Amino acid sequence: MSEEVMVRMHQIHKNFNGVEVLKGIDLEVKRGEVLAIIGPSGSGKSTLLRCLNHLESIDRGSIEVAGKSFAGESDLGTVAYETGAQGREILSHMGMVFQQFNLFPHMTVLENLIEAPVLVKKEPRKQAVGRARELLDRVGLSDKCDAYPARLSGGQQQRVAIARALAMEPEIMLFDEPTSALDPELTGEVLKTMRQLADDHMTMIVVTHEMNFAREVASEVMFMADGNVVEQGVPQELFLHPQQQRTQDFLCNML
Amino acid sequence: MDKIAQIVLPMLEGSEITLEIFLITFLLVLPLGLLIALGHIAKFRPLRLLVAAYIWIMRGTPLMLQLLFVYFALPMIGLKLPDIMAALLAFTLNYAAYFSEIFRAGIQSIDRGQYEAARMLGLTYGQTMRRIVIPQMVRRVLPPMSNETINLVKDTSLIYILAMNDLLRVARSIVQREFDMTPFVVAGVFYLAMTFVLTWGFGRLEAHFSKYDA
Repeated sequence: MSEEVMVRMHQIHKNFNGVEVLKGIDLEVKRGEVLAIIGPSGSGKSTLLRCLNHLESIDRGSIEVAGKSFAGESDLGTVAYETGAQGREILSHMGMVFQQFNLFPHMTVLENLIEAPVLVKKEPRKQAVGRARELLDRVGLSDKCDAYPARLSGGQQQRVAIARALAMEPEIMLFDEPTSALDPELTGEVLKTMRQLADDHMTMIVVTHEMNFAREVASEVMFMADGNVVEQGVPQELFLHPQQQRTQDFLCNML
Repeated sequence: MDKIAQIVLPMLEGSEITLEIFLITFLLVLPLGLLIALGHIAKFRPLRLLVAAYIWIMRGTPLMLQLLFVYFALPMIGLKLPDIMAALLAFTLNYAAYFSEIFRAGIQSIDRGQYEAARMLGLTYGQTMRRIVIPQMVRRVLPPMSNETINLVKDTSLIYILAMNDLLRVARSIVQREFDMTPFVVAGVFYLAMTFVLTWGFGRLEAHFSKYDA
């Protein structure tokens, strides 16, 4: 595994209306690593992910993505993200999968996949369609090309959403509770798709409540509570020998 | 038979001006209303305030007053428009305000997740609006748009005060000349026919857009 750092977040602070939800988080993900972020609701784990891709803005700290500065503090102490073309270039390293899928309902599955490659990357339509079909095949949905998202089950929609993100060929995939909106019997197919991605050495950051997934797939697990990182380590260590009482309590409740 | 022709033929001619004003206004109002709606939700505050003031004035004063203003007051400051242009100007400015509010409501009803997904895929704000938000907005605003469009057909009758021979004015002059109420009934049937076509058309559009529902 290469030692190239793909994501580095340093001393991340974030307030929502005076409530501090991130209290100085450090995070580092190397190429090919799968980082699972676990923790109770309201621990700030989703917010951390959303700060990484600038869906929220940090108040203090710095972010580097693929070796480039994405957000940093100026001399005045305010934080500025790269915006415009530069910002979009940095964002293009990351693909995002949302809890609520967020597929485009007015487009077929295939159109969902080729929209950004054709529009943003100016990829020839034919080539984009070819790759979209490959991706749909990979997530096991090649027969759903012409279906509209509303006709698909939640698990199918989420797999389309994963394929859509992959269509932009990101180097890092971010998952924000990808199975939390799904019926329990549908989570398996999504987790299987994510497992395949990990096997293909995709760099991944996964905010999740799926402890089995974190234990079996992640190369690193981070436990967050109340805006702090309580404990971090390889899954075997963290799940079998949690050092902190807070972690032990959480894991007891989850397992 | 002769008598019916004497009533219906001039009224058909009157329908022409009614339809002309309706169609041109409708086609102008769609892009203009959309632009105003986008201005109303823009980040740039002065633009938002300007648009809000515009909408306030257009919705807050009678369309009749606006027609009279364009037709009689503007010439006093040297802006004399041909009759039809004056009517089109007043109708377009007025209805663009109403349509923009329909569009704004439609745009703001689109889930935030759609913007976030588009942004993470690298789409710019313009691309997100054009490809993701507005196409979804269109189908949601069809029912209120249908309402306003039918109102527009009927409001075209206001131009009778500008001495233009639209459907209603023709009907009234025949009534006064012949002392026969039939033209009013015929006019009613004409308006009903036009609104029927519109209702049908909007129904077809709604059916077309429902294809991506579950």
